[in-house]
Amino acid sequence: MNVSEVRPVKKKMSKAALTEHRWGLAFVAPPFIGFLLFMAFPIVFAFVASLTKWNGMNDMLDQFCGLQNYVKLMGDEKFWKVLGNTVIYMLGIPIGMILGLVIAVGMNRKIRGIKVLRTLYYIPVVSSLVAVAILWMWVFNYDYGLLNSIIKFLTGSHGPNWLGDETWVKVSMIIFMVWKGLGTSIILYLAGLQGIPRDYYEAATIDGANGWNLFRHITVPLVSPVTFYLLITGLIGGFQVFVEVLVMVPSGGLDYSAATVVFYLYEKAFTSRQMGYGSAMAFLLSLIIFVITAINFRAQDKWVKTMD
Amino acid sequence: MKLKKVVALFLAVTMLGGVLLTGCGSKEGQTADGKKSLDVFLYLNDHESEIYKNMIDKFQQEHADTIGEINLQITTQEEYLTTLTGMMTAGSLPDVFYVGPESVKQFVDNGYIEDLTPYLEEKGISTDGLMQDVLNSYRYDGTATGSGDLYALPKDSSVFAYAYNKDLFDEAGLEYPDPEDPYTYDEFVEVCKKLTKDTDGDGEIDQWGAGFANAFMLYQFVWSNGASFLSDDYKTVTIDTPEFKEALQKYVDLTLVHKVTPTVEQDASLGVYQRWLAGQEAFYACGTWDVAAFMDPETFPYNWDLCLFPTLSTGKSMTYLGTVGYCVSADSENKEEAVDLINYLSTDADGQREVSGITTGNSIQIPNIVELAEGEFLDAIADGTVKYPSNANVIFNYMNGTDFCGGRFMESTYTPNAEWINLFFESVDKVKNGSTSVDDFIAEIAPQMQASLDEAWDSVS
Repeated sequence: MNVSEVRPVKKKMSKAALTEHRWGLAFVAPPFIGFLLFMAFPIVFAFVASLTKWNGMNDMLDQFCGLQNYVKLMGDEKFWKVLGNTVIYMLGIPIGMILGLVIAVGMNRKIRGIKVLRTLYYIPVVSSLVAVAILWMWVFNYDYGLLNSIIKFLTGSHGPNWLGDETWVKVSMIIFMVWKGLGTSIILYLAGLQGIPRDYYEAATIDGANGWNLFRHITVPLVSPVTFYLLITGLIGGFQVFVEVLVMVPSGGLDYSAATVVFYLYEKAFTSRQMGYGSAMAFLLSLIIFVITAINFRAQDKWVKTMD
Repeated sequence: MKLKKVVALFLAVTMLGGVLLTGCGSKEGQTADGKKSLDVFLYLNDHESEIYKNMIDKFQQEHADTIGEINLQITTQEEYLTTLTGMMTAGSLPDVFYVGPESVKQFVDNGYIEDLTPYLEEKGISTDGLMQDVLNSYRYDGTATGSGDLYALPKDSSVFAYAYNKDLFDEAGLEYPDPEDPYTYDEFVEVCKKLTKDTDGDGEIDQWGAGFANAFMLYQFVWSNGASFLSDDYKTVTIDTPEFKEALQKYVDLTLVHKVTPTVEQDASLGVYQRWLAGQEAFYACGTWDVAAFMDPETFPYNWDLCLFPTLSTGKSMTYLGTVGYCVSADSENKEEAVDLINYLSTDADGQREVSGITTGNSIQIPNIVELAEGEFLDAIADGTVKYPSNANVIFNYMNGTDFCGGRFMESTYTPNAEWINLFFESVDKVKNGSTSVDDFIAEIAPQMQASLDEAWDSVS
């Protein structure tokens, strides 16, 4: 094939196709420009800042210090601690998925008032994060909280210091996050369930499969694209947990037991005014998220089934 | 080419939008009718904001011919520094904002705030009548704060005094504390034990002798024991001394051994401040900014008065003083007007009568003007025009210093940031709830604090 052969083809596509092509570009432009301005630029900026000892006030480029911030980060016990906390919170992702799927299966039928029920489960998702976090702060209150009142009523003994104890505070945060995200997984699983053709179940039933077999071998694999989506968004969101901590345990918890990576980098950048160090942490975090997401996409062939 | 036009139009609009957004810069500091405008960013509590809003309105009306509008943005003390750092980073500082003595050097070195000295000289404004110790904390000579040119005018100077609930003392048939003779630690424990009780007979303590918020009420013990968090040059963490450890031990013993304060868990469910307001604690602290609230029967329906913090080995009752000042942004378009405004807020006699309660009855601070504070203000307290507890002298004694009591700034007032001390208070509850010993805690935390402090000093060198 030589060039002269290609040209006429290209010319031919012009007019109509070209117009469409340009319209396409025009529609792509706003999000693309948005991406450049609000994503690409900040990422590059954060990377440059992460190579400096910028404190937000002095001239950033005068403070160049190479990879010092990253080296320091590797030896920063507090960083590993908050990274650990962040990962522990992610236990809420599988818990939320299992609960979501179970509830979605339960709701995937015609019962009276099902719409009311679906709405109820979705309310936490559309509520303001700050407002519901304040609400849950009271639920978790040691003496006057709903949870401990129930525990006292049922067992007669005092419940744990939910937000004040190094271990329980993590349990509290996981409970809160699962509660907050449950509506989303239910809705998505419901949509996934409704997309599974009935014949699959009928065929399997004729072959003698029981309820568990149907769930295990048809439902679970066929909603795996939803599971995959929830996993990806859950992990990305999980690494960025911040508001919940800031509202419910503004000190970061006893001995920093509730703090997350973003909480720590926020404190470093804005309270201790170590913008450079904070930026290094932010950049490293985005790298971690990028790598984990890439691995997930690679691994999806192994377990994500489609109906084709 | 219709499409090309659409694309071109789109790009043009985007760019124009960008230009307009940045273009605002050139019109900054002016209203549409060509008058000046000022942006002011402060943290104020509810009581304060009401009074300060009125003062700022009044100032604007008096200068209506030149100043078109004053935009007052109010935040909370917790949020203030974060937002300000954001403003600095973005290069869009308001004309007037707060600076604490701890930040003067940093703000000046990085060119954020204006030297007020030439403006004050030109306008013939004298600062001689103000409290000089406080004023000097806003002076900077290019190497250290304390002397040199003036970079801020004090908004206030505050004292964090101790207070007691008279009603609980009456109930227990106890004598009131002497405002000029502080309790020793042992006396304090004895009194507190008599005030700690189960009032409703359900087997659980619901009234305590005292309540202590670590981050504000451990200093008094430390300093009164002759210890401190930092060395005199503020470069070395000195919590590893026997004096410091003893002070911390005695502090946590009140909770663990003598059991005269709410436990850490109880504190988590209802804070010590709320418990004081609910009449559950006989002793609590009272900052000068708290007086109006505590005198308001809707907030605090009890009789109360000021007293002194208990003493440790030095026998001298100690507490901390605070101050925050108004400064003018070096980038301000309207520095003259901004200086006029802060001068009015800081030193205008009528304004000071207002905030101290001489005219309003509700006191949120002591007047900045010494003559006013020690004359008219005390008279107004004596004749009842200002709602104030009768032992108001406690405040002045702490501020001026006597042989039995004294006040000083917190150590973090002199360090580039407060991360090093936050590390301490973040985990001191481990000692207060008995899960770690004083020695173990200090051995663990002191090196971390030192590393953080070194870094802080390093970041400004």
